[in-house]
Amino acid sequence: MEVKMELGKLEEKDVEKVLELVMRLKKLNQEFDSTFEVNEESREDAIKLLKGIAADRECYFAQVAKSRGKIAGIIVAEFRKRVFYNPPMEARILEIYIMPEFRRSSVGQMLVDSLYEECRKRGIDLVTAEFPSLNIIALNFYKKMGYREIVSVYGKQISKK
Amino acid sequence: MVPETDQERTEHFNRMSLKFSEFYKGKTMMLPKVPINDLGAFSYWYTPGIAAVSTHISKDTESSFELTGRWNSVAILTDGTRVLGLGNVGPEAAMAVMEGKALIFNYLGGVNAVPIPIRTRTKEEFITVARALEPSFGGYNLEDIESPKCFFILEQLQKDLSIPAWHDDQLGTASIILAGLINALRVVGKKIEDARIVLFGSGAANIAAAHLLMAAGFKAGNLIIADSKGILHPEREDMDTLMLNNPWKYQLAMSTNGERRKGPSDGAFKGADVIISAARPGPDTIKPEWIKTMNSDPIIFALANPVPEIWPNVAKEAGAKVIATGRGDFPNQINNSLIFPGVFRGVLDARSRGVNFKIMVKASYEIANFVKDPTADKIVPTMENWELYPQVASAVARATVEEGLARRNNSTEGFYNIAREIIEENRNAYRKLVDGKIIRKLPEMD
Repeated sequence: MEVKMELGKLEEKDVEKVLELVMRLKKLNQEFDSTFEVNEESREDAIKLLKGIAADRECYFAQVAKSRGKIAGIIVAEFRKRVFYNPPMEARILEIYIMPEFRRSSVGQMLVDSLYEECRKRGIDLVTAEFPSLNIIALNFYKKMGYREIVSVYGKQISKK
Repeated sequence: MVPETDQERTEHFNRMSLKFSEFYKGKTMMLPKVPINDLGAFSYWYTPGIAAVSTHISKDTESSFELTGRWNSVAILTDGTRVLGLGNVGPEAAMAVMEGKALIFNYLGGVNAVPIPIRTRTKEEFITVARALEPSFGGYNLEDIESPKCFFILEQLQKDLSIPAWHDDQLGTASIILAGLINALRVVGKKIEDARIVLFGSGAANIAAAHLLMAAGFKAGNLIIADSKGILHPEREDMDTLMLNNPWKYQLAMSTNGERRKGPSDGAFKGADVIISAARPGPDTIKPEWIKTMNSDPIIFALANPVPEIWPNVAKEAGAKVIATGRGDFPNQINNSLIFPGVFRGVLDARSRGVNFKIMVKASYEIANFVKDPTADKIVPTMENWELYPQVASAVARATVEEGLARRNNSTEGFYNIAREIIEENRNAYRKLVDGKIIRKLPEMD
C-alpha cells in the first residue's frame, strides 16, 4: 500500500490523539502479561507525561506520522546517558505504534529512520527499545530490524503483607 | 406423531436419539466389499499375496489411491471443542455427532467417512495428528473445532497435505450461503457487484463466508461485518487483539467496510441489500425496525439454530423479500448437507490434492443453478433432490482438474457418471441391508 505520510514533531495539540495510540499499545501489552494491566484512571497523568515529552525536545524524540491530517503512527524515544559504558549515549525507544490500516506500508520503518537521523545529528550510535518480554509482535518487529537482546528486566509480584 | 411446539419437538427428538443410540450402539460399521469364497481367499486378500500390493505401493505411494480404499475414505476429525451448540464437550461426546455426520456422508455421497474425534489440546498437536493420519485417507473433513483455532488448523493443513482439507463449519456453510445468495439476488434482480452485504456475527461461518463472497466477485468495500462489539472497521479497539488471535477477521477489518461505517451493529443494516446472520439464537436478535432501514427488497438469512435471529413471518412483515433460515420447517433451508456430500464425492473421484475458494464458488453456482426458477420461497434445493449430489460432485471434480489439483482427469460428464454410479451402488447396498433385515427396524417408542 502506497500512502503519503507526513512526519513531524509531536505538538501539544496532538497529545490527546496520540494518547489514544499509546493506550492501544498498552492494551496490547496487557494481552501478553498480567503485570501490564492497563490502569484506566491514569489518563490525566498520561496526558501530563506526553505533554512533558512534547515540550522537552532535548531529552526526548517524539515523532508523529500523519496521513491526510490523520495520525497514522508515533514513535517516542528518550536520550539517555550511559555513565559506566561506551558508547556514552543511547536512544531508548519507549513507544512505537502504527494504526492497523497503515501497517505493512513501512510507516514504522519511516519513524525509526527519522529517529536514526536525529541520533546521527547528535552523534549517538546506540539505539535500544523496551517492551514486555512476551510481546511477540514487538519482538518480531525489532528482530526484523536487526535488534538483539542486550538487557533483561526480570520481575516478580510479591505478597502485600 | 411429532409434537407441535418447538420445545416438545426438541424433547421428542432427544428421547428418540437416546433410545436409538442405545439400541444400535453405533451408527456405522465396517463391512467387507470383496468375496471371501473360502478361507483360502485370505491368501490374496491378505498374506502372502498382498505383499505384492504392498511392495507396489511402497514404490509408488500414489497408487495407494487405486489399490486400497484410500480413494473413497474421509476422516471426520474433531477435537470436540465446539460441538453443535453445546460447546467444548470433549472428543468422546463428539463421537455421537461425528457418527451422524459419517452417516450423511455415506448416504448422500457414497463416501466411506470415518469419525475420528481426537484428544488434543493445542492446534499444533491437532495438526501433528492430522498429518500423521494422511496416508490412510483421500480427504479430511474437520468438524466442530472452536474458533479461531479452526482457522489456523485448516490453513496449515491445506498447506501441508496432498489431500483436500475441508472445515465444514467454515467452508460448507459459506458455500451454501453463497448458493442461496446467488439465487436470492436473482429473485430480487440485484447484481453481485452492486450488492451491499452485512455479515451479522463473526464466527467461523461468517468469516469464511466473507472471504468466499469476495472470491465470488462481491466487492470487499460493499461488505460490512458486525458483531457483539459493533461494526468492524480498522480503528476498532480490538484490532491488535484480532491481529494476534484471529488474523482472518483482522484481514477483513482492513479490507471490508469501504465507507468506514462505525458504531453499534444495528447501524450496519441501513442501506444494506442483504443480511447474513450467524449470530446469537433469536427470536429477538434482529429487530424488525432494523430491516425497515434496509434497501428495497431486503434479503435476510437468519441462520442461528435452533431459533433464527428473527422469525420469518416477522421479517416478512418488516418488509423482507427473501428469507432463509437454518431450519427445515421453513422455506429456504441453508443446510450444509446440500454441499459437503457432493463436494467430497467430487474431490475423491478426481483424487484431488486439495480444495480452494474457486472450486467452492463453482460448487455454489452448481447448487444455485440446480434450482431452475428460483422464487422467494425456493432459492436452494432440498436434501431429497438426489440428482443434486452427483451434479455438484462432477462440477467440483472438473474444477479440481482445471485448478491443476486432480490426480485423475475426466470430463464433467465422465465425472458425473462415476459419481452417480458410486452413490447409487452405495444406496442399493444400503437398501439390501435394510430389506435383508441386517439393519434392524427402529425400536418402538414408549
